[in-house]
Amino acid sequence: MKEIFIPDRAVIREILNENKQIKTFRLELLDKTHPFSFRPGQFLMLSVPHCGEAAISISSSPTALPLIDLSIRKAGKLTTAVHALQVGDEVGIRGPFGTFFPVANFHGRDLLFVAGGIGLAPLKGVIDVCLFQQELEENPVQQITLLYGSRTVADIAFSQAIEAWRQQGVDCQLTVDIDELDWQDHVGLVTDLLKPELLTKDTTALICGPPIMIRFVIAQLSEMGLSDTAILTTLERHMKCGMGLCGHCHLDGKLVCVDGPVFTYAALKNLHVMELN
Amino acid sequence: MIDLRELILPKDQLLPFLRKLKKESRLIAPVQNNYGDTLFTEIDDLDAVKIDLCHQPQASLKPFLLPQQEILASYRSDNKGYRFYEPEEEEDTIYFGVRSCDLTAVLYTDLVFSQPVKDSSYYKRRNQSTIITIGCNQPFSNCFCEATESGPYLEYGYDLQLIDIGEAYFVSAGRSKGADILDKWSYFFRSVEKEDREKRYQLLLEVRGKFNKNIQVSHACRLLQEHEVEEQIWQQLSSRCYDCGGCAYVCPTCTCFSVDDTPIDSNKGLRLRSWDACTSAGFTRMTGGHNPVDRRQHALKRRFLHKLKFDFAEHGKPSCTGCGRCIDICFGGVDITSFIRLLVKGERA
Repeated sequence: MKEIFIPDRAVIREILNENKQIKTFRLELLDKTHPFSFRPGQFLMLSVPHCGEAAISISSSPTALPLIDLSIRKAGKLTTAVHALQVGDEVGIRGPFGTFFPVANFHGRDLLFVAGGIGLAPLKGVIDVCLFQQELEENPVQQITLLYGSRTVADIAFSQAIEAWRQQGVDCQLTVDIDELDWQDHVGLVTDLLKPELLTKDTTALICGPPIMIRFVIAQLSEMGLSDTAILTTLERHMKCGMGLCGHCHLDGKLVCVDGPVFTYAALKNLHVMELN
Repeated sequence: MIDLRELILPKDQLLPFLRKLKKESRLIAPVQNNYGDTLFTEIDDLDAVKIDLCHQPQASLKPFLLPQQEILASYRSDNKGYRFYEPEEEEDTIYFGVRSCDLTAVLYTDLVFSQPVKDSSYYKRRNQSTIITIGCNQPFSNCFCEATESGPYLEYGYDLQLIDIGEAYFVSAGRSKGADILDKWSYFFRSVEKEDREKRYQLLLEVRGKFNKNIQVSHACRLLQEHEVEEQIWQQLSSRCYDCGGCAYVCPTCTCFSVDDTPIDSNKGLRLRSWDACTSAGFTRMTGGHNPVDRRQHALKRRFLHKLKFDFAEHGKPSCTGCGRCIDICFGGVDITSFIRLLVKGERA
């Protein structure tokens, strides 16, 4: 029987400083004998020596394999320890786990991404994979729009990715909560950017950010007439196994690690979820 | 259910039979300790201890099959990298004198740890286990297994089931492991007579009449499928929960756990699994301190709904086995039976 709590060895190939609190760790599995694949929106259980495990979304696209990105905000003991690691150091990973964004259903659709802070991490791989497929497919994703909110200018993360997306035709609109002298762009909440003209009859919205942001963005999109099945979000919960066994992420008969983390608003509506209340 | 084998074990043959079993494997049975507590205990010398079949064991088999703390793996982190190693193998173990409620809980745990993935650590231990149950002819003071359909006798799931019919035990083999034991040690047994069967049936009818707690478990399960619980009930219960975790720890079907790594020195450590409980504040709290569960209002909501609403919807059975242990352990008086009473009373009001 496979030991399900033993992670695979991975080595850090590159570290990107996204902002003062967020770093992206570019990992590669050492053992290539087991094929590894994932879909954008899925997460891994990351092991860090002496710190145990934490659930972290994969922030890269499967097209970048064998490299796997984990974008991590320094918040607790494990994430602080990760931030102290260097290129060449090893971590452990188990997974991938959970549901994913149904990229295969996005043919011909306009995608509206709404993210706050580190919430861009699980969406980032979706944008990358859609851009990659745009060049290859007959009926690719049409317009891609990103509304991205940060607390301050210094908190803006993933600038490198955003710049690359802009060059590939993604409409990236940024906003910060707190105005600063050198900031030329929008000031205010991300919901301010959510204008009715952004929605077409083919829009699918993908949302991730702090619970309160998710709540207001979903409410606004719903009011603007977007259907419940065209609104997708991804939840964050305390998890210990990632495989539907430990019980921590239990949510009204569902398990966020198995039935989620990616949910449609139609599915979430029937659950008691803090992101909606 | 139809048993693979049925035989009669005269009572004076029990100890010789157990001696044979113990020669081939580890034996765990209820034993009363010096403090008067009856607990499942590993037996070194069958002649030095008295197996206690008169009292309800204070803990279920959970501490054996899902230990309060277990090593899932060991790890090393040094200049050669970061590697994990499998834990040690488990021994063959026979559990004797297990009550129907506790075996039902083991069957539930089997299910929980088999999907969506098979829990390797649990199954290593479970596959090495043989469970011999004893049907209850007299419910203990807090028992309500007749309401959860997990006793007093069982119809399946055991390797062997013993029913005390006076001078002898009526023994049924429900699984091939049990049948193999009966075949191997057949000389301790005699065949079943018509009177044995009648005696067993008569005893079952009698014991069914001895339950007097009247907990309306299935009615509560159905109510929960159709109605939201009044917020006032949650608040009333949660205000008397002291976050001790006692209910979840004694509960044979509470299987939620945590996984943590503990360093031994700077180069190595252990990955440990420990019991955890949704009644504890830290269970859902995330890095940074945010907690999606409002403790003052909903400290007990998840526990009761999981057992009576969601498991009932999924498996057609609640995951409360009526063992009654949470009734004695809770000093706030907010065990599962008080929830069921409030719920059913609220419906009548």
